[in-house]
Amino acid sequence: MLKSKLAGLGAVLALGMLTTTAFAQEKPVAGEVKEGSLKGKTLTFVSYGGIYQDGQVAALKEFVDKSGVKLLNDGPTEIAKLQAQVESGNVTWDVVDTGDLPPYVHCGKLFQKLDLSKLDVSKIPEGQVGECSVPAMNYGVVLMYNKEKYKDNPPKNWADFFDAEKFPGVRALDGSGDPTGGLLEQAFKVAGGDPKAMTAADIDKALDVIRKLGPDTIYWKTGAESQQLAESGEADMLMMWTGRAMTAVKNGAKYAPAWQDWLVVMDQMTIPVGVKDTDAAYALLNAYLGKESQEILAQQTSYTPINNDAKPKVDDSVAAFLTNTPERQKQGYKQNIKFWVENFPVAQEKWSALMAGN
Amino acid sequence: MSAFEPTIQTAEKRAVWAWRPFALTLPALVLLAAVIGYPLLTIVLRSLSEPAWGVQNYAWFFGAPVNLAVLQRTFSISAWVTLVCVVCAYPYAYLMTAVGPRMRLILVLCVLIPFWVSGVVRTLSWVILLQDSGVINSLLRSAGFAGIRLIRTQTGVVIGMAQVLLPFMILPLYSVMKGIDLRLVQAARSLGARPSRAFLTVYLPLSLPGVYAGAIIVFILALGFYITPALLGGPRSTMLSTLVQTQVLSLLQWGRGGAMGVVLLVTTFLLLALAAPVMRSRHREAGRR
Repeated sequence: MLKSKLAGLGAVLALGMLTTTAFAQEKPVAGEVKEGSLKGKTLTFVSYGGIYQDGQVAALKEFVDKSGVKLLNDGPTEIAKLQAQVESGNVTWDVVDTGDLPPYVHCGKLFQKLDLSKLDVSKIPEGQVGECSVPAMNYGVVLMYNKEKYKDNPPKNWADFFDAEKFPGVRALDGSGDPTGGLLEQAFKVAGGDPKAMTAADIDKALDVIRKLGPDTIYWKTGAESQQLAESGEADMLMMWTGRAMTAVKNGAKYAPAWQDWLVVMDQMTIPVGVKDTDAAYALLNAYLGKESQEILAQQTSYTPINNDAKPKVDDSVAAFLTNTPERQKQGYKQNIKFWVENFPVAQEKWSALMAGN
Repeated sequence: MSAFEPTIQTAEKRAVWAWRPFALTLPALVLLAAVIGYPLLTIVLRSLSEPAWGVQNYAWFFGAPVNLAVLQRTFSISAWVTLVCVVCAYPYAYLMTAVGPRMRLILVLCVLIPFWVSGVVRTLSWVILLQDSGVINSLLRSAGFAGIRLIRTQTGVVIGMAQVLLPFMILPLYSVMKGIDLRLVQAARSLGARPSRAFLTVYLPLSLPGVYAGAIIVFILALGFYITPALLGGPRSTMLSTLVQTQVLSLLQWGRGGAMGVVLLVTTFLLLALAAPVMRSRHREAGRR
């Protein structure tokens, strides 16, 4: 009697344990969140403002409505500010959109190592999930040239971009902050080097190729400025973010892209070290990765979605600059992230010297 | 003040009275200590303690040629801006003292309305005016001249900064000039001085305190400029604040950024200390006359 009772109790306990483990292992599905699961909670989402952050907020609307979370927005993302929060132990930024490299540079120190059992990363394009980040969107840095200036003999790739003799004209480069690793690799190739075997000392060789473009070279400080340079015709050849290139062309700039070796870049989504409610932050990330969210994001911002199933409805002018088509994927050039992470301070130091006229 | 004071005071009471004015400035002092003193102290400490205690950040600053070049450029651009401001503001401020009240109001508004517009907006307007395909160059070309490069040059930066800072020159100048008794100039003239002589020996010395006050404000504000050189300048007109921004925001080198700030601050103090005796002696001279 006692024995069977004990057995029954054991069975109940075992069943209980089974259900809890089953519950804990419930696989998250990208884009889904439990009804009312974050009621009374607040999350602060940080990004770069403008139409981009507006689009992200629109992409998260369903998540907010369903989970009951209160979503606050802040920005722009500044790693120094985040560092100050982490150091003082008062982290108010729960989910942070960053540039390409910071999550790799500060992984584990400022950004949490991600627990991938809490996220559905199965639809993210290959090779884009980092130890501390998932992509926020994809875009490209593309060579845009003035169609009227170059007519029948347009530049075709970065080698032409760096060849001021064969292709005279004013160049404009991204001077908005950090060096663009992919561009330096392309410049190094022009100098006769092999980007795959690049060393820290080779950064100078790449920078010399850029220096040779001469004193008229423009270093734009903001995306808006690059767009303005194209629309006013100030620069004949520009490196531009695809979103800005698309808008410039839409606004009537007589410029065309040279897609060969366009530089693949992305924004990253991260969770800082020391956030108050990690699970809520994961829930936001997981919702963000969903198909519908990514479609909304792409439709509103023209950036390329990072969910392989997403089929955003966009007009031709936008579609022309989406980078997730098979053709574009083949033409794209991926920078050596590991190299740039390891040599970030050196590269930055040398780049800012160039930016300061030395 | 005697109305409030008893005629006979004990020493203690007098001391209390002497402290009154200071007590009134207490809120301002507390505010200054909190929003300027404390952050400044933190910056100095960080420049000496990150990543380790020592002067490595200063050694780095003076060891990199780019830093010294940019520091020197920062001072030379600021000096040019100050000069342009003095030259533009002096006649303008004088005109303000010479015209009737209605015209003066218009002149004041011409100074103040741009002053109320955000610096970013004004700088962007300068982009439209100065760029190669901009208003100035289009006019030049349609008049048959060759275009000139203004944007992304130091000239462009100086023009933009001078316009943003002009009110800081005009207003102190005007407040000094309106206190100058113009009868002194008339007296000089009636004693046979030529107009230029009357101006140089009577009016100019009396107005110098305004020039100094305005010049110091403009010069110091110009040293810290960030947006205008970033938008109107190119690599060859980068100022120190841009380098500080790179160190702190991009490389998280608070120590180096702090060291740059401290160097700029100390150099500014040194320059002012050098200039102070000159200004004081001129001042006295002006007073004697």
